[in-house]
Amino acid sequence: METRNLIDRLSAEMPHPALRPARLAVWLIGMAGLCGALFLCLAGPRPDLGAALLRPLILSKTLLPALACLIALPLAARLARPGDRRRSLLPLAAPLLITVILWLVTFVTLPPDDRFADVSVAAVAECFGLILTLSALPLATGIAVFRQGASTRPTLCGALIGLASAAGAATGYSLFCQQDNPLFYLTWYTGVIFIVAACGALLGHRFLSW
Amino acid sequence: MADREAEWSALMRAANAGDGQAYAMLLNTLAPVLRGIIRNRARSLPPDLHEDILQETLMALHTKRHTWDDTAPLLPWIYAVTRYKVADMFRKGGKADLLPLDDFEDQLLADAPDITAAFDTAALIGRLDSRSAGIVRAIHLRGESHATVAQAHGLSEGAVRVALHRAMGRLSRLAGRGGAG
Repeated sequence: METRNLIDRLSAEMPHPALRPARLAVWLIGMAGLCGALFLCLAGPRPDLGAALLRPLILSKTLLPALACLIALPLAARLARPGDRRRSLLPLAAPLLITVILWLVTFVTLPPDDRFADVSVAAVAECFGLILTLSALPLATGIAVFRQGASTRPTLCGALIGLASAAGAATGYSLFCQQDNPLFYLTWYTGVIFIVAACGALLGHRFLSW
Repeated sequence: MADREAEWSALMRAANAGDGQAYAMLLNTLAPVLRGIIRNRARSLPPDLHEDILQETLMALHTKRHTWDDTAPLLPWIYAVTRYKVADMFRKGGKADLLPLDDFEDQLLADAPDITAAFDTAALIGRLDSRSAGIVRAIHLRGESHATVAQAHGLSEGAVRVALHRAMGRLSRLAGRGGAG
């Protein structure tokens, strides 16, 4: 086809409504919130939630993933627009750095026998399985709605959607979880978040390319 | 460059509001500029692919035009989409290694609005000395290799690269002064 004819054809088509990246983010966080709320309704939050959240080491279990989610989500939304240069990944280093420091400090301060006392197949499977399950729907929703965008870094955008989904899910799950040893929750929460981010990267590569 | 930004973003705003004529005008203005960029960047690909890449790029700009934030400048958006699409075509053609991706956008931002558009207006190139003009025409307009041009001018390849670099710098300065006179 001649380029001139192509232009004639294209210019006859009606435009789509403008993209609102914030709306994409709201879809994802909304779905994460819905899944988290549903889970907490069914399973119930931990019985001593109020008192537990007053303890900084337990509060961190909720705040760290929440922080990661709130950093990853706007980044993913910006990536949905070509040419947006405000896309530094550096802020994500903050929750990661806090995680590493908290992990090391706990490791050094806890007596050797207490460090990994709570690790059991059942406990890890519960933590992994529930966060993975709670992440699935927000991740799928995120990938689906971000297809309206035009990320020039689809793999990275998918990874951030995965990260935001899992971090959002972990935030909700943390209100149920009674594993208060930072070595436990930092290791396994971070592990699941990375796994879901990797899934997001694969999905992004596959479904967000255009 | 500021004029082009203002003119094109006004056309795109009208286009996104449903003005087909403004949209056709924008695409018709864009096509030769993009053709110049693609010809310049895709020298290693067969020339008959250049028009395919151009059409793919126009289609991408079309299907994704709703992703432009009309309060932001349009040119970076166009360059980002073009860069993505050209890189995509390179990948499909198995030539990913031939495209210097890192500096692509910066170079587009730097040279596309002024120089590449001016490629078609031979006047600007004509203001260079004849050897530089010959080298620029051979490499950027006819897509000849550095080696061929070096042979034709009796220079080493390195000397051709240096001469080309200097000529582009001079063109950039000429274009920066408005290219008239």
